[in-house]
Amino acid sequence: MASVKITNLDKAYGSVRVLHQLNLQVDDGKFVVLLGPSGCGKSTLLRMIAGLESVGGGDILFDDVRVNSVHAKDRNIAMVFQNYALYAHMTVRKNMAFSMRLNKTDKKTMDEKVNWASSILGLDDYLDRLPKELSGGQRQRVAMGRAIVRDPDVFLFDEPLSNLDAKLRVQMRTEIKDLHQRLKTTTIYVTHDQIEAMTMADEVVVMRGGYIEQSGTPMEIYDNPNNLFVAQFIGSPTMNILECQVVEDNGTNYASIDNTRFALPANRDLNVGQSVYYGIRPEHFNVSKQSSSDDNNALTGVVKVVEPTGPETHVYLTLAGQELCAITRDRLELRPGDEVQLQPDLSQVHVFDGDSKNVI
Amino acid sequence: MSITAFKSIARYVVSIFVIGVFIFPIAWFALTSIKPISAVFNKDRVVVFDFKPTFENYKVTVLGAFKSDTQSNSTVLMGTSGKGAYDGRGAIMSSLIIAICSTFLATTISLLAAYALSRLSFRGAQGYMHWILSQRFLPPIAIIIPLVFIFRDLGLRDTHLGIIIAHTLINIPIALLILKSFFDDVPIEVDQAAMIDGATRFQCFYMVVLPMIKGGVAATAVLCFIFSWTEFLLSLFLTNSIRTVPVKITTFVTSTGSEWGYISALGTAAIIPGFIFILLVQNHLVRGLTMGAIKD
Repeated sequence: MASVKITNLDKAYGSVRVLHQLNLQVDDGKFVVLLGPSGCGKSTLLRMIAGLESVGGGDILFDDVRVNSVHAKDRNIAMVFQNYALYAHMTVRKNMAFSMRLNKTDKKTMDEKVNWASSILGLDDYLDRLPKELSGGQRQRVAMGRAIVRDPDVFLFDEPLSNLDAKLRVQMRTEIKDLHQRLKTTTIYVTHDQIEAMTMADEVVVMRGGYIEQSGTPMEIYDNPNNLFVAQFIGSPTMNILECQVVEDNGTNYASIDNTRFALPANRDLNVGQSVYYGIRPEHFNVSKQSSSDDNNALTGVVKVVEPTGPETHVYLTLAGQELCAITRDRLELRPGDEVQLQPDLSQVHVFDGDSKNVI
Repeated sequence: MSITAFKSIARYVVSIFVIGVFIFPIAWFALTSIKPISAVFNKDRVVVFDFKPTFENYKVTVLGAFKSDTQSNSTVLMGTSGKGAYDGRGAIMSSLIIAICSTFLATTISLLAAYALSRLSFRGAQGYMHWILSQRFLPPIAIIIPLVFIFRDLGLRDTHLGIIIAHTLINIPIALLILKSFFDDVPIEVDQAAMIDGATRFQCFYMVVLPMIKGGVAATAVLCFIFSWTEFLLSLFLTNSIRTVPVKITTFVTSTGSEWGYISALGTAAIIPGFIFILLVQNHLVRGLTMGAIKD
């Protein structure tokens, strides 16, 4: 096992810079998820850590040893690819034993390790099958088996679940997390799926356009996004964002849009007339059918679409000409066209600067 | 009659017709090889099956019997020639040596080159591919005169090695193109996975990617073999005493007439090695060898 440290890492393809001065510390045994939209450079970063891409500038260190020019085969890493990349002409057993065959491990150790990995991954019955005789989930397990038999210093996962159907994805997600808890191997996992990132990671690194936007534990990132991009990228349904102006009334600041006022949390450094983004997650509205006259922060919206999911109901509604989403756990029996009252939880409101889009 | 029944009958009729079009010349050719000359040259009617089969033509061309020894049975006499002039055994042997060696060389060289072009990025890789393809733009007749001089000066004219080299060079561009497309079908992640597993670049090629495209290698080898086996022009110009089968057959067209019996016998016999070669490799000529490597 090893820690991975990245300092001032740069990468460019021709004149296109894809990574800009990245710094990242992955502690020994941690599960770190690189999260971002397509083209944000997360896969490139992973491939540079793997040794599959050259380093443009800066350093990659494993346990404080610089590995910039160490060949992929000598880094003692294991990687699981999105498309599995199995050796199609080899049986599951041979696929998993390939790395040991290359470094001339004796047959007994080889069999032991393959059996150990296959029992962890539930592949015991498939060891003598070819990859084409397996289902997608089983193939992905073989790819993981191939990785764990090597007892690597670092596990790298490049969107390993993207090709699986929704149900299998949830199941494999749990399996990968369980595997990490058992093996405690340092893991770097790339995904564009924020649910995967939230559920699996010890630490999430949100990337965009070759920059790291924010890193922290999943809940830190969810509760305290640094900027508008992170706020919108994390969370499903996504955070409600309203483009407002700051107005003052009786010494209190409000965010105003279309003459509708949203109460702002106190202690924020705001100027009257400043343009801001007012952000609140759907679950931080209190939704009720009757107007409660005692709260003057309450807003009235018109229901557009109701989506019951079972434990909670997503209500999409129109308010001040904007579309908002609110989540309630109450069984309100709402219909499109109904008027509802929304009370934002002021402690959960995020305000972002209109120009820099950073949190205020 | 229902439409489906009509369709199914039409399908059979068309397929039998198409197969017939392709099979008929070969079948007629093979039939001619076992006809006595009287049946080949019957002025009154076309003799199809009502003749007494003879294997004299094979005896002369494939087993090396002298023409004069076998002519006692013939009713029509054709021109006489030097003893052994119709013996095709040497030509078959030469063709075999040339076809097998040039197929092996062309496939091996193309495999290495195609892997490099598919997997490694180097300056001018794209232009290189076009340049290789352009080697096939010229008809062989256009290069034949300089080639004859070059081969003469190098002492390669009228040697097996000479024709092996010529056939290899002609085959490389097309073999390279086919093999590169097979390599391109194997996702690069497979190489990368192997490298992360500790394989060198060559182990990657040899142990992982090559076995995954062995169907393509077999197909390419078949094409190279067939080209070399049937190639006429280069063999004609680059040899005098060594004769490949296609060139040898043309010598059966003599000043005193064409020996149709011998032509058809050696021609029919010449189908056999190619047929055996294809039978040997056809087990590998299956598609979908890369199935299972990636999510399809």
